[in-house]
Parts: sequence; structure tokens; C-alpha cells
Amino acid sequence: MKSRQHTTMIVVFLFPAVLAYVLIYLYPTLRTGVMSFFQVDTITTSIAGWRFIGMGNYVFLFESPLFLRSIRNIAFFWFAGAIMAFFFALLFAVVLTSGVRGKSFFKAVIYLPNVISAVAMGTMWTQYVYSARYGLLKNLFTFLGLEELAAIQWTSPDFVSWALLIAYTFGMIGYFMLIFIAAIEKIPQDYFEAATIEGANKIRQFFTITLPLIKNVFRTNIVLWTVSTTTVGFFIWVQVFSPRLIEQGTVTPMVYMYQSIFGAEMVVTARNVGAGAAIGVILSLMVLGVFLVTAKFLKDDKTEF
Amino acid sequence: MKRFTFLIICIGLMASMGLFAGGQQSASEAQTTLVYWSMWNQTETQGQVLTQAIRDFEQQNPGVRVQVNWNGREIRQTLQPALDQGVTIDLWDEDLERVILTWGNYALKLDPFFEQSYPTTNNQPYKDVVMGSLLDLARNIAPDGALYAVPYQPFVFNMMYNKSHFQQAGIQQVPRTWAEFMDAMAKLKAAGFEPMTIDNAYMDTLPGYYLARAKGPEWVAQLVSDRTNAMWDDPAVLQMARAFEEMATKGYFSRTVESNVWPAGQQDLAAGTVSMYLNGTWLVNEIMNTTGPDFPWGTFAFPEVPGGVTGRTAANYGSQAFQINKNSAHPELAFKLAVHLTTGRWDEELAKRTFGVPVGGTTDWPVQLADARAIFNSLDTHYPWAGGIQANPEKLPVIIENFTRLIAGRITADQFVNNLKR
Repeated sequence: MKSRQHTTMIVVFLFPAVLAYVLIYLYPTLRTGVMSFFQVDTITTSIAGWRFIGMGNYVFLFESPLFLRSIRNIAFFWFAGAIMAFFFALLFAVVLTSGVRGKSFFKAVIYLPNVISAVAMGTMWTQYVYSARYGLLKNLFTFLGLEELAAIQWTSPDFVSWALLIAYTFGMIGYFMLIFIAAIEKIPQDYFEAATIEGANKIRQFFTITLPLIKNVFRTNIVLWTVSTTTVGFFIWVQVFSPRLIEQGTVTPMVYMYQSIFGAEMVVTARNVGAGAAIGVILSLMVLGVFLVTAKFLKDDKTEF
Repeated sequence: MKRFTFLIICIGLMASMGLFAGGQQSASEAQTTLVYWSMWNQTETQGQVLTQAIRDFEQQNPGVRVQVNWNGREIRQTLQPALDQGVTIDLWDEDLERVILTWGNYALKLDPFFEQSYPTTNNQPYKDVVMGSLLDLARNIAPDGALYAVPYQPFVFNMMYNKSHFQQAGIQQVPRTWAEFMDAMAKLKAAGFEPMTIDNAYMDTLPGYYLARAKGPEWVAQLVSDRTNAMWDDPAVLQMARAFEEMATKGYFSRTVESNVWPAGQQDLAAGTVSMYLNGTWLVNEIMNTTGPDFPWGTFAFPEVPGGVTGRTAANYGSQAFQINKNSAHPELAFKLAVHLTTGRWDEELAKRTFGVPVGGTTDWPVQLADARAIFNSLDTHYPWAGGIQANPEKLPVIIENFTRLIAGRITADQFVNNLKR
């Protein structure tokens, strides 16, 4: 009798969450998956208006030089950006947890870009920092006498990929730094004190104590980074760097998907919502793949402290 | 006790909901409500003028209430799902071409309404008091040649320039041919100005306009859609590339042209650093905060090119447009509102406060667009956006990247053509 009551309680309490999950996540996911095998004119076309084309959308995408370019771009942004973001986030996290004065202030300053709108941040980078006429970088390099660096046109086709990546990564460092700080602060101080008594310097302590004990957080951060670079967050940055027209140096699958579903910005073009859905499926598989690979190589070692 | 209190609160809430619902019902019985989904944000100048105009309409039509949903440009994503779900929307607005081609199936055919006169049309049919060229364009875009939209806020895409620079450089007359154009830029450069710039958002318009002048917009659309890439061997393409290569070589483009992220280039025009910028007449309003109202604006038609098949009377022009839901319960009233917003006082007010082009034939134009009026009146051929160069979204990024390199002097005209043939 008691057990049945328990089951009823579980069902009652879980029902709203499960219902919300099924309606808001599962149904759209399944519908998008199915849609990717159909020719669909608009996003609200009823299922009766869908035309089955098998793998047609996937074939179309993998024959499109622009879509393939977008895949190459996102691979570059994901990999190079992750190295930059995690390197600086970890560096700042280690420094700020080492007992440095003004920790709260520096934490707030480094995190600050995250509370500012991406559009405002992107505009600051494109119109001020990178400006070839009066930009921060131009003035800085000129002041330092580095004329060749000062002459770089950062948002030109040759450099725009790096320019976008640096601007985006700059804003993400604080976010990952906070997660690393939380993980490092969970490590008992005794470990470091014991290591210090044994004569281990700070660098040795970092590689033999800190790094192995925050391995799980790395896994979480890699998944979070993958989700943010492949979806909406990065999309907004691309829109600021390449307004109205798609550019080869900044195009990502999300940008291509947006154009497939809603058409081009300045002219009325044919829409292919099925192809957009196929891109959604491809992006999901990419995130899933990254998750599985990181889960395999960064296994949870169940360390307790 | 707790249960009793809870019960009382519930009964109170239900009673109040019932009362309010009853109140709404009796209010709606007393008045007709029009629902307008707007492409503007209420904080934009257009939104502010439309708010006042709608208030005026409500005062002139007692018993009518206009409920506005300020979508902004998000309407491109929000409108169609709402219409598909049967949401009550009587009228909406967006770009003329977009409303007809994208939402034409949801729209009411309006030809009979254009034949009638309204309080602000001085006893004339509405079609006779607004720009005929826009009505012709609307008919041409529609598959059946009917009118499915009410145009307003027209624009023409042409060369916007700083008259003061031209005077200081000793340029007496605006260039009409490519040779005169090059001559004008030489004078501007000699006078110490950067003759021309462009932003990445409009990078396709220069090659698109040149090629449309040279071969016509239909040919441009075929060129970019040619899967064999054989059409890129046409001499007109190399001619275009050489023309811009020469401009780059002679230093006629701004030194930051390859890295201009919109709106950096147009701000250079506003700041008086650069003399010319190919853009729509909306540019005056877009950079008004920087230029102020006294900026010496001038406009001229994109020059004719050697051997070209279309001339200065051809341009990309269009407008915003209202559209009425074919399922609207109040189509006459919705059209009356559209007329109210696009004629007389409010057409003039919209043009004045947005420094834009009025749609009414007799309405005054802002002084900043005095030159554009003559261009508009001379138009006889319509170009699609950027002369048709956006017809293939897959090819466009390749074109703009290589064109950017071309005008920055990074590649030659021959390299440009070869890169486009790949």
C-alpha cells in the first residue's frame, strides 16, 4: 500500500516536467528529424503539404560548397576558440584562486562581457576595436611602432575569421573562468598545503593536483562550448560581423540554416525548410559526437573530497 | 480556516475574471477593432509617426480602435506562422516585393479599393494620388498582375554624395557616363577627398549595378545562376572587373573599404571623409544623427557604362507596403486606414520626419532628397536588388569576397574572373 502511494507521488510530481519535456523538446526534435527527409516550403506548412525526398536534403547540403565551407568554419571556430577560451579561463581561474588581492573585482571585470548584449559587444569590436581608421588595435600597434600590425585590416576577408573568433572568445573567457574557479575552490586546501610542505612548486601543484581534479569540469565546459558555438550565441556574433550578406569567412551552419528557413535578407529567395531541418539534425549529431568523445576520453573518476 | 480562505480567494478571482471578461465583451460590442502587425518598432521614427496617425484615424472614426503589434523586422519570421494559426490580423506591412511574393497568398486583391476616393484624396480615386510607378511595380511583381499591396515610403537606390566635396573639387555637373564618373573621382582625389566607399552589407551592389547597366538585370540573374560558370567568360564581366580594378589602382576607393563592417563606410560619408556611397534614399535618415539636417546631400543615377543596354533611367526602386488579410472581417476599414496613413498630412509627416520619400504625387519632398525626385520621375526600368546579383544565394558570398579583394587592390581583374569561374 505504501509502495503504491509512493509510485502515485512519483507520477504526480514527474508528470508536469515530463509533459513539458515531451511537448517543448521531444516533439520538436522528432518533428525536425522527420522534416529533414521532406521538401517543405515554409516552417508552418502542414504535414499534408510535405513531400518526401528521402536523403535529398542531406545530399543537397553536402554538395553545397557554401554549406561545406560553413562546416569547415565551425570546426575552426570550435577548435581554435576552445583552446583560446580554456587557456585564458583556466589561467585566470588559477591566478584568482591563488590568494591574489582584489579577487572579486577581477572576477567581476573578466565576467563583465557576459552581461552585456552580444549585439553591443559585437558592435564595439567591429566599429571600434578593429576599425582600420581609428581602432584600438591600430592605435595601440602604431604607438608601439609595430607598423605592419597596425596596417592589418582586421575585418577584411583575409582576417575576418580570426577577428570574429577573438571577439567571441574574449567574451566567453569570464564565463568558463567562473566554472573553473568553482571547481578549483572545491579542492581541499590540505592537498596544496601537503604538496607545499613536500616541496612542490605552484606549477607542479597545478599539473599534479588542480588539473586532474577538475577533469570533470573540462568535460562540462567542452559540451557547453560546443553548444554555444554551434547555436544561437555565436549566430548573433556572425550577424554583427556580416550584416545582411553571408560572407565566406564567417558563415556557419546556423547562418546557412537561417537563410534556408527564412530566406535571404534583402531579396525574396526560395526557402527550403527541409534543408534547414537537416542542418538542425547535423548540428545535433555534432554536439552529440563531441559529448560522446569527451565522455570517453575524460571519464568521470568518481573522486570524492 | 485555511481552506475557507483559499476558497474565498478562488471565488473572488473567478468573479473578477468574469466581471472583466464581461467588461471586455461589452466594450468590443461598442467598437470595431482593426489589428495591425507592424514592421516597425514603436521607438523608431516611423513607429512614432504611425502611432500619431493611427490615433488621428481613431478620432476621425469613432467606434474604431486600431490594435498595433509592433513586431519590428522580426515580422519576417512571426507573421506567417500567426496567419497559419488563424490569428486575427487585418493588415500588416513590409517591403513591397516581400509582401507580394511571400505573403501574397494571404492577401486580399485590392484593385477595386484603389478605384475609390477617400476623405484624404480630394475626390479623386486613390490610384491617381499616389506614385503610379509603384503601382505598376506592384502589379508586375504579382503573378496575376493584380494589386495586393498599398505602397508607401518609396526609395530609389542610387549614388548618394556630398555636394560640398563636388563643389570644392570643381565638379560642375554630376557624372552621367563611366568616363565622367572616373573624371569626377580624379578631381575629388586631387582635392584631398577619398572619392568612394562601400560597406560589407552592400558589397554586391556595385558589381550588380555595373553588370545590370552593361547587360540587363535578367542576364545578371542568369550569370550568377549558371552552374557551368561559362557565362563568367563574357567580356562584360571582365569589363566590369577592369573598371573597378582601375578605380582601386588609382586610389579612388576609401583606404578602409575592404574592412568596412556596416555602417562604418556610411559613417565615413557622414563624417565628410568620403564623398560618395551607392545606397538607397533611406540613407539620409539612417545617418541623420551623425550628419544633422544641414548635410549637403546630393544624389545622381549610377552612370551609364560603355556598351551598356540599360541607362540612367533604370534603377532598383521600391517601397514599404501595407497588405490586407483576405480573411479580414473589415477589409474596407483596413484599406481606409492604409489610405489615411499614406496620403495627405500623414504621408507628408512621415516623409518629413524620416527624411524619406513621400508616396503622394503632390506631397513635398525633404530638401535632402531634392535631386532624388528628378531621378524617381525619370525611371522607366526596374532593377531587382543589386541588379539581380543576389539571384543565387550560394554564389553570392564568393562574388562579394572576390569583389572586396578586387576593390582593395589585392587581386587583379583577371584573377577576379578566374576565381568566379571555379
